[in-house]
Amino acid sequence: MKNFLKEKLQGHFDENLDENIKTIEEILENSVDLARRDFIFHEQHDVKVTCFYTDGLVNKQQIEMVLEALLFKAPELIANSKVGPVDKEITKQIKEHLLINPSSKVIKKVEDGIDGILRGETLFFIDGSKEALEISSRGWDTRAVDEPTTEQVVRGPRDGFTENIRTNTALVRRRIPDPLLRIEGMKIGTKSRTDINIAYLKGTVKEDVLREVKSRLKKIKIDAILESGYIEEFIQDAPLSPFPTIESTERPDKVASAILEGRVAIFIDNTPFVLIVPSYFWQYLQASDDYYSRFYTGSFYRIIRYIAFAISLTLPSIYVMLASFHQEMIPTSLALTIASGREIVPYPVLLEAIIMETAFELIREAGLRMPKPVGQAVSIVGSLIIGQAAVQAGLVSPFMVIIVALTGIASFAIPNYSASFSIRIIRFPLLIASGSMGLLGFAACFFILAIHAISLRSFGEPYLAPATPFKPSDQKDAVLRFPWWKMVSQPDLAEGQENRMRENQVPEPPKIQPGLKNEKTEDRNEEANNNDNKNDKENSEKNNNEEKNNVMDENQENNNEEISESKSKEKDEQEPLPITEESSSTQTKKGFKKPKKLKGENNE
Amino acid sequence: MTGRLIVSVGILMLFFLSGCSGKREINDLALVMAVGIDKVEEGNDAEKKNQIEISVEVARPADSRGQTGAPAGNTGDPIWSVSAKGNTLFEAIRNITNFSTRRVFWAHNFIIVVNEDVARDGIRDIIDFFTRNPELRMRTNIAITPDKAKDVISTMTGLEVVPGEALDKLFRYTDISGAAPKTELLDVQRAYLSETTQPLIARMELIERGVSNKKQGQAGAIKQVNLAGAGVFKGDKLVGILNKDETRAAVLFIEKVKSGVVVLSCPNEPDKEITAEIVHDKFNVTPSYQNGKPSFTVDYKAFTNIVEAGCPFSIKDKEDVAKIEKEVESKVKADIKKVLTMAQKEYNSDFLELGQRFNNKFPREWKEIKNHWDTTFSDVTMKVNVDARVKSGVLLYDPTRSGKQ
Repeated sequence: MKNFLKEKLQGHFDENLDENIKTIEEILENSVDLARRDFIFHEQHDVKVTCFYTDGLVNKQQIEMVLEALLFKAPELIANSKVGPVDKEITKQIKEHLLINPSSKVIKKVEDGIDGILRGETLFFIDGSKEALEISSRGWDTRAVDEPTTEQVVRGPRDGFTENIRTNTALVRRRIPDPLLRIEGMKIGTKSRTDINIAYLKGTVKEDVLREVKSRLKKIKIDAILESGYIEEFIQDAPLSPFPTIESTERPDKVASAILEGRVAIFIDNTPFVLIVPSYFWQYLQASDDYYSRFYTGSFYRIIRYIAFAISLTLPSIYVMLASFHQEMIPTSLALTIASGREIVPYPVLLEAIIMETAFELIREAGLRMPKPVGQAVSIVGSLIIGQAAVQAGLVSPFMVIIVALTGIASFAIPNYSASFSIRIIRFPLLIASGSMGLLGFAACFFILAIHAISLRSFGEPYLAPATPFKPSDQKDAVLRFPWWKMVSQPDLAEGQENRMRENQVPEPPKIQPGLKNEKTEDRNEEANNNDNKNDKENSEKNNNEEKNNVMDENQENNNEEISESKSKEKDEQEPLPITEESSSTQTKKGFKKPKKLKGENNE
Repeated sequence: MTGRLIVSVGILMLFFLSGCSGKREINDLALVMAVGIDKVEEGNDAEKKNQIEISVEVARPADSRGQTGAPAGNTGDPIWSVSAKGNTLFEAIRNITNFSTRRVFWAHNFIIVVNEDVARDGIRDIIDFFTRNPELRMRTNIAITPDKAKDVISTMTGLEVVPGEALDKLFRYTDISGAAPKTELLDVQRAYLSETTQPLIARMELIERGVSNKKQGQAGAIKQVNLAGAGVFKGDKLVGILNKDETRAAVLFIEKVKSGVVVLSCPNEPDKEITAEIVHDKFNVTPSYQNGKPSFTVDYKAFTNIVEAGCPFSIKDKEDVAKIEKEVESKVKADIKKVLTMAQKEYNSDFLELGQRFNNKFPREWKEIKNHWDTTFSDVTMKVNVDARVKSGVLLYDPTRSGKQ
């Protein structure tokens, strides 16, 4: 059967229409979603035409357009004899002279035709032609662009990726409308033939990284790719490591910023999760918010997230270690408090911790799997039972409840879901090690983890960079998030020596002297603006912002003009006020020095 | 592959087969809050007479902490005090385990109280035991008492729930009153091991000071622990007791004192009293070495406030102020001289760290005299200069007078 199918697929279409219909129907047999439409065009010669498409995958308007062209417009055109009577070139001629559909092509191979039908294209067979006409008519129900549910931000764009790969690449393309942004396509999966797109910024991305990504993707031989997780597991550097070495995100702005930093994004059809490689560990603790809110806020909450990371990884183990091995390290009054809470708890601290952690994970998982309205009930029951009743019943100590709750909350503060999961999983070996061997076990386990993490690489990039190996220039966006006008240079990861922005863009209030015209300053500002445009490429991550700024600049200009007009009306004989200030943020320091000088001159 | 499997299984077994060695849950420990060491008096045999009695105050966590959610022990007492006897300290401590349901855990011990009878016989074994034991912290306080040590540690005293903590906190504010030196185990060990310095250990006693809130008639019947001077040691043996005033003067030599109170008679009316508080001071001991003889100059500069005036007194009155300053000087000087005499003549014990000061300044000369420091110390000439200033009358400039006069 398979061989028969293969043979058929390898063949070419026939001149005879009935033969072609037979071929298609033999291959697809009686799939109920295969739709067929026969009609006759070319009244004089009664040319029969048949079209095939998969119901549900097509936008019927496109098919209607073809039918309209063939049935109503053809006779007129034929009268002008551009499309001759039935000849072998008729398909090509129809495509060139008759069709108004934006996308169509002529195909000869059965395999391509079948593939087209199954992907939502419509195939037209014209009697007497060896070729088939494929009209691009894809159109199915998709989810609208929606706010990403796994990565919420307070300030930032609200659009998230959808299941449609074209929408997804478009969302990124809209953010970087630059010719250097390349999106390459490939297909993986013998059965699913899933579309994979690789997006990168040429000239910024390291060629080696790009080559490595492509070669790893090409090596994948699998029947179907249903989610980006499949790809992730096939191409990650350390398949057995608990640490994720590939970042996945639902946020187009995150992907755009990663691309601008010289990373490669891998889009996979049918999933809203886009992969970003190479990735650093610390990236998982950074949220998009950091870059959009003011840098104090961004830096502060980044530090909070580092604390959350430390807590969620180590707090239960440290507690267990102290309470069952190193009581002398606890301050006396705290030791008494812990001891009094544990007075009637029937099992050792380690077991207590494991039970509580498991219970917590249970509640979390149940809350996630349950339908939304029930999920709330789960969390209420869970928190009541674990938090209140278990303590009162003397099953767990109140201190352990606090520890577990704090750990849980801390793990939720980690923005990347997969990273927060892996940290939560790493916690358990640490817990068991410190519960069975105390500080010795904790230190040993922690060191094994640290050594492992240091040895990891993500597509050739050290996993713990820029902390180790230490990269001084990248520290501006590591523990703290420096102001944007400070992050002038590209990250170390990116290739090329381009700066992302002009230096010394610290905004400051204007120092203009009213009533003074200063042409030189204006010139300079214009120059600066031109420079801005030139630098757009490098600045393109801030493109949107800058556009906004420009708009604002114009507004300000207008305002200034208005003001100056009104003022000049008041002081009739005076010259109109100069518009020396276009935008405080784009003004250079040098630009300001001139007016000062002129002010002196004026006084003379 | 098999090799890797064996290695990983081996590593895994390391965790399980170690059987959590060294593990003890915090609620399986008897957290010792205070230790008392007494001499056994009763008993007939001579053998028993030399025995040592060790008493421990163990915190009862369920009762020493309140609303933690866990059911409380409700025995009412936050502590459980027990004592055991033995020929040596360690034997006595081991005997505690005969009736302690939990493992005796020393790391949280606040204080070691030693009965003066024991201290007179020598505290070498006590220093040795408590510094040798890895569980003990060197910051544990140590004190001597004329009362039974076991009574001192088991008395409910102070505002703290656990009396051991209260005893610890007594020492926290000694730099205000200077009523006792803040002696930690580390200090005592250092003084004991030193070539020159002799230990000076805080002294505490039980005094009926507490006032009952429930039965008014029993005012003063409740005993409280009180700081009461210091014990002077020579070698490891207690040789004498300093009272509070002497202790204050002695403490000046050893640690920083924040405050002090001097009660004087009024400049013009000798039967009435005026109180000066030393708020700030500078204390300096300068050793010198001439003709093979060491000598010391003690410079003390005290800045005082007049905190209470029982007679008309104005801070503006320069004459009165000068008189008061002089009186403060003579009183403080007398105290310092007295303690110096006690150290040199009475006890011949250098608990004031004078030899240490000399060593710091003249290390080479010290080598010559250190061998006979014991004998030279009592003949060393001491010069005491005291300079007192009255800085302010706090909030009142003029004397407090009735407005009706």
